[in-house]
Amino acid sequence: MALLEIRGLRKTYPTGERALDGVDVSVGAKQVVAILGLSGSGKSTLLRCINRLVEPDAGSVVLDGTEVTSLDRRAMRRARRRMGMIFQEFNLVERLTVLENVLCGRLGFTSTWRAVTRAFPRPDIEHALHLCHRVGLIDHVRKRADQLSGGQRQRVGIARALIQDPKILLVDEPTSSLDPKIGAEVMDLMTSIAKEENVPMLISVHDLGLAKRYSNQIVGLQGGIKVLDDDTREVDDERLESIYHVSAQAFHGGPG
Amino acid sequence: MSAGPDRVHLDAGWQGNPLRPRSLIARRYTLYLTATVAVGAMTWHVFFHGTDWGRFGGIASFAREVGRFLPDLTFLPHVVAPLLETLLMAFWGTFIAMILCLPVAWLAARNITPFYPVTYAVGRAIMVLSRSVHELIFALLFVAALGLGAFPGILALACRSIGFMSKTTAEALENVDRGPIEAMEATGAGRLSVVLFGIVPQVFPIFVGNVIFQLDINLRRAAILGMVGAGGIGILFSDVMMSYRFDQAGACVLGIFILVTMGEFVSTRIRARLVYGEVGRRE
Repeated sequence: MALLEIRGLRKTYPTGERALDGVDVSVGAKQVVAILGLSGSGKSTLLRCINRLVEPDAGSVVLDGTEVTSLDRRAMRRARRRMGMIFQEFNLVERLTVLENVLCGRLGFTSTWRAVTRAFPRPDIEHALHLCHRVGLIDHVRKRADQLSGGQRQRVGIARALIQDPKILLVDEPTSSLDPKIGAEVMDLMTSIAKEENVPMLISVHDLGLAKRYSNQIVGLQGGIKVLDDDTREVDDERLESIYHVSAQAFHGGPG
Repeated sequence: MSAGPDRVHLDAGWQGNPLRPRSLIARRYTLYLTATVAVGAMTWHVFFHGTDWGRFGGIASFAREVGRFLPDLTFLPHVVAPLLETLLMAFWGTFIAMILCLPVAWLAARNITPFYPVTYAVGRAIMVLSRSVHELIFALLFVAALGLGAFPGILALACRSIGFMSKTTAEALENVDRGPIEAMEATGAGRLSVVLFGIVPQVFPIFVGNVIFQLDINLRRAAILGMVGAGGIGILFSDVMMSYRFDQAGACVLGIFILVTMGEFVSTRIRARLVYGEVGRRE
């Protein structure tokens, strides 16, 4: 069985928008799976249903043998500690330093008292410094997050996810707020670290080129339905573009 | 553009500027005229009916009267202790309000209030009450209940300040960026940790800035509370005024002026520092 096994996931928002309509995805150990699709095709919802930042209506998510969807609040928090998430808008705490932002990734493991006094355990701090070095920010650890450039911010986001010692990385449009060059650097860094650490990744992306270059498996979503799921090497440009074209036609009311 | 009409024709009823129909213009100028007449009538009443111009005398006598308030500098040493009491009142009044405004802000922030319409309304009601009652009214109330002195003054300042401080804090809470909160939740952090790391750092600088601003305002307020017996320099001021020692009153005013200027100077500097942060400007 794969490390992450998603079966029949459904989500309809209270607004009536059907974001996911019975999606199956599996992510094996060491795999990088790219989720492709237009805005509103359900990519972000799919990622957020895995750590239940969004509550799915139906379906199952099994991570490393644990059925995640049936966990209670407390157990879910515990499960989230081992799921790293990287965000499109970085979601850093602007007024905290780089080091503090990275250490935020340990909050699930940190006692309330230590969190209140911001007294993170020494091994965590050492680990955080090591990761800052790894993502190329060791000279900036004392800078506040709001002093960093976009690429640097996303590196902080990566370090924050990695310090969780995650079983899987959920990555939501990591390059959409960055220019193409910096975006490629961030993808390079992320995938190479994930490879070294043997952490599988589930990445939602807009960019077909990035998806082809960095993933082993490509999943295509259209209006919450899976329309493609194949080995990246088996997917040619035509099939890739069809993910966008067909739904673009449907979007404009043309023949689909 | 070929599908659209090449000219748009207005209905026959339109005349003049189509964006300002005549009926609207007429209504607007009627309003202007009514307002002008009303204000003019009231002004006439106050200036010519309610004022005894005969008692004003000439410019010379006017200057002489104002001149009686020239400060007696030898009286300044007597002003120091009451001024310090004024400062202390402002400090404690602000401090108490700073603590008490937190639960009120929590109730009155739409996004985190526990039971939306009910608790939100309670929070907003406390704000309105606090902001609509003058500090002198609060002071009279507490002086009547607790007797003369600085303590009722402190309570009056606190009650008067809670409204503004909880309002700004509630607004800061409502404008919090969801992103960091989401990120903290995704790490499996407990609820308190999410608040501490996701919300507090976003609200803190705004909160501290407003506390200092409020301290500045309360310094001015504390200076007059003594006039109703609630401690501070105001007691001395009303004493010397009642004994017609306008020169000593002038010294009191000078003392207040110096204290408020110093307060303004300090608060401006601290708030500027808060804006740019302790690490420095963005590079």
